[in-house]
Amino acid sequence: MNGLLFVAIAAGLASSWAFHGFYRAMLVKADPTVDVAAALLGIRLLMLIGVAMTIASDRLLVPLASIAASAAHGDPFAPANAAGLRQIGWALLALQMLDVPCALLARFWPSLGAAAPAGDISVGGWLATLMVFVLARVFATGSAMRDDLAGTV
Amino acid sequence: MPITVHLDDMLARRRMSLTELSEAIDITLANLSILKTGKAKAVRFSTLEAICAVLNCQPGDILSFQAEPGKSHDRTVRFPP
Repeated sequence: MNGLLFVAIAAGLASSWAFHGFYRAMLVKADPTVDVAAALLGIRLLMLIGVAMTIASDRLLVPLASIAASAAHGDPFAPANAAGLRQIGWALLALQMLDVPCALLARFWPSLGAAAPAGDISVGGWLATLMVFVLARVFATGSAMRDDLAGTV
Repeated sequence: MPITVHLDDMLARRRMSLTELSEAIDITLANLSILKTGKAKAVRFSTLEAICAVLNCQPGDILSFQAEPGKSHDRTVRFPP
């Protein structure tokens, strides 16, 4: 699903150059007074952020699925899961960082009009990112302890 | 591994099988095998106590230390002879 979204946004981005005329016509039809060059650049930037977000989401969802599968097997405290959680943490951090250009576009790109993103910086998102990094550390320690315990008679 | 486990020697001296020992001290045969073959990372005092009680021996009769040749021990203290 995330892969399809990536392909769709990337195709949209590429088509903004390939079908420049179509985009121009669509923008003028929506608002005849629009600065077409600025609006088109804003849309391209938004789609570029979208592509980056789908890549970050993919880096988040793949290890998450792996962790969920290992938890279902009853063996979540594994070094691989600690590494996976760290990867999820970095992906979440990337997603939080991508909120910044969204906020900048929302605030300083009036030509986007209704297409402008919400552009909020999420405090909860930053806290979740921090928590995931802490949890990754907990998992790394826990898996090391479990390895030790496995060799204790 | 500089720590060697002599459980099999001790069992032979006491004419006891590993299975009998595992039943006597209530530890699985698999775990005792891990200990006997020197694959254990650690031994609980409670396990050592139970083994010593059943085999009527000291921990030193079961475990011994032999420094690995060529391996320097930074914390080794040289005692006078």
